[in-house]
Amino acid sequence: MPDNGGFMVAAYVAAAVIYLAYSVYLVRKGRTKG
Amino acid sequence: MTPTEAFERARRRSAVWIGIGLLLLATVYVRALVFTPAEVVQGLAQKIFYVHVPSAWVAFLAFGIVGVSSAVYLFLKDPRLDLFASSAAEVGMVFTTAVLVTGPIWGKPIWGTWWTWDARLTLTLFLWFVVLAYLVLRTAVHEPSQRARYSAVLGILGALLVPFIHVSVYLFRTVHPMPVVLRPGKPTLPGSMLATLLFSFAVFMLFFAALLWHRYALARLADARAHAAAERDDA
Repeated sequence: MPDNGGFMVAAYVAAAVIYLAYSVYLVRKGRTKG
Repeated sequence: MTPTEAFERARRRSAVWIGIGLLLLATVYVRALVFTPAEVVQGLAQKIFYVHVPSAWVAFLAFGIVGVSSAVYLFLKDPRLDLFASSAAEVGMVFTTAVLVTGPIWGKPIWGTWWTWDARLTLTLFLWFVVLAYLVLRTAVHEPSQRARYSAVLGILGALLVPFIHVSVYLFRTVHPMPVVLRPGKPTLPGSMLATLLFSFAVFMLFFAALLWHRYALARLADARAHAAAERDDA
């Protein structure tokens, strides 16, 4: 089996950062303008 | 309860569901990384599948919503449809960004390159730019009904790309794999991987619904305030 776990980790971290960042942005936007 | 209070309540409730969605997203990670077998040929990089594919499905669902809401808007001229379409476009943009980021990270170890101008990849990038244009257009036009009409047309055109992207792997010679679930006949994926994929898809759908609900509540809130301000100015 090829050793490419680093790419897996990078993709999972990247996706988590994107989704978490947008969630925080949206909820904060709602709080400040809500 | 005034409309503003109702939107405010929707904003607070949907924020809680965004939190629940993020927690469930963490369970997808645990299930995919710990409790799902690694694929023999591709190794651990294949597990990118469980975030890449559901992100793509949800992004396409979002742009389907944009297309349908925009088309119905052009008939009914109900501003709520315009706000719903624009909310779905923004949230769909986030999911498409995740697709375009996780795809190259998967492509590098398997195809040997981060990017190639393959039909599906190119069309997905093109869709991303169309949605960006849609969001930029909305900031450039200030008259609400004109903004809604222009963006509805662009929203429909963007949504038309979605079926092309899905069948692009059949229409063109491409390096991107064929569908393993949404295909004619039965899924070709082993049961354990299919179960994780479907669980991931359900979670991504719920997370998307929470984000869309929240974004729409904010759009309605902003709209209600803009109307109230316009009435004050008139008075």
